[in-house]
Amino acid sequence: MTLSALSYNPQTAKSFIDEVIERSHQNLYACYQCRRCASGCTVGEETGITPDYLIRLVTLGDRDAAVDNALVWQCVSCYTCGTRCPNNIQSGRITETLKKMSREEDVIPLNPNIAYFHDAFVQGCTRWGRVNEMEFMGYYELKNIGKHMLSFQFRKAYEEIASQIKLGRSMFKQKRLHLKLHTSRGRKEVKQFYKIAVKKKASLKKERRSQIKNRQE
Amino acid sequence: MEVAYYPGCSLHQSSQFYDLQTKRIFSELGTKIVEINDWSCCGATSAGKFDDFLAVALPSRNLGIAENAGFTEMLIPCSGCYSSHLMAKTRLRSNETLRSDINAELAFPVKNTIKLLTILELLLEAAKQGKFESKITRQLKGLKPASYYGCMTRFAYDVPVSDNVENPQGMEKILDMLGAETMDWSYKTACCGASAAINDSETAMNLMGKIMKNAVHSGFNCIVTTCPMCQLNLDAYQNTYCNKFGIYERLPVYFITELIGVAMGIPLEELNAHRHFIDTLGLVKELNLI
Ligand code: SF4
Ligand code: SF4
Repeated sequence: MTLSALSYNPQTAKSFIDEVIERSHQNLYACYQCRRCASGCTVGEETGITPDYLIRLVTLGDRDAAVDNALVWQCVSCYTCGTRCPNNIQSGRITETLKKMSREEDVIPLNPNIAYFHDAFVQGCTRWGRVNEMEFMGYYELKNIGKHMLSFQFRKAYEEIASQIKLGRSMFKQKRLHLKLHTSRGRKEVKQFYKIAVKKKASLKKERRSQIKNRQE
Repeated sequence: MEVAYYPGCSLHQSSQFYDLQTKRIFSELGTKIVEINDWSCCGATSAGKFDDFLAVALPSRNLGIAENAGFTEMLIPCSGCYSSHLMAKTRLRSNETLRSDINAELAFPVKNTIKLLTILELLLEAAKQGKFESKITRQLKGLKPASYYGCMTRFAYDVPVSDNVENPQGMEKILDMLGAETMDWSYKTACCGASAAINDSETAMNLMGKIMKNAVHSGFNCIVTTCPMCQLNLDAYQNTYCNKFGIYERLPVYFITELIGVAMGIPLEELNAHRHFIDTLGLVKELNLI
């Protein structure tokens, strides 16, 4: 997964790390690999890869590995790493940035559910100005179950539906699900923000694609 | 003085009763909180994973609305909403162009002057002014609550947070005042997994299992929280993660407002505290608190 010292290219490594620094607002150069973040990382045990490791990948310029690993997707944004880091590096922001980069590069997310979830959330909240838990969960489940169906994992799809129905039923019983549509009158502004974001993302993606093409040539 | 109030989507839907309780408790305490007009979703942690501009723009709209209505402080009980608004404020301060780009779309432009308050800060302020004294009618004797802060309110940004980031004490201060038996434990700022409960359930159950194990071993008889996401997760999935970890005990997961309510002698039904998955009434009855 990591690059060997001989294939390390200072130029591309620098441009990559600078890009991550600019977009995440975190000074990765300050990391001295003390691994305090690693001992605190909430999902470290699950992912096997910890923030210090991720920073090392970025520093080495191993772009492919940095945007495509378990921590990038499974990070739960608890910001424990940043709380503990002696150099104030908030790695939770770095995983956020790498998540966006991986989408721009059309890398298939290691955990597609997580990607669907955040997409569904953003679309739901920018459509109405407020998140409607029922609508957004429905949208997310459709995508998620659809994925199982497409890959002929019917058992998984069934289990997913069954577990969600179970949760949904007890939520209803406790009157914790609501059918009323929640909206904000100012959602035009919110929609406009969404449009700007989507446009910006599209141009970043285009830029990235041409970069990749140039590299290949 | 009036304080602006941002409930957020959760407090209008799955945790509606937390909204009701917040309003009730502050009205009992004589602290006036006013819900801001036509607020919108802050984007939670999802917006930051989608686009940086959007993640700052969404909370900015709410900051603008509150500031233009003349408020200087805003209460945000949900830890997730609190942290995204705090993040937006930090970004706005360091980037003037970003602020003007956002303001170009807003009817109520943001000046970024408003101060954000967690529910604990506002409660502690009320305590400092002695507003609790005449209201507390009973002591929470025998209640051993695990103060669970979760991860979202202890940011190490360059904004001063109100409490210690590793070992916050705000909740204990209030619970001590109410006569509960608070104790130290190791998982008070651990993460419950938040949305991972839905999209990466294996991970989330492991995280919650560890929290619960530590709470049970430390001898607590309930958990208290201020965050609707933590509350819902630890409560709704309790059977799942306890079964997974072979934990026999079940602990009610109270909002801090519910325990204050008990101490004030407000019937828990009036606070809709029966809308939990793990029963909340049994324990307080058993301890003769209601
Ligand atoms: S705690 Fe900070 S300095 Fe230490 S390894 Fe982690 S990111 Fe680097
Ligand atoms: S924010 Fe992410 S990387 Fe940092 S400690 Fe939490 S889970 Fe680990």
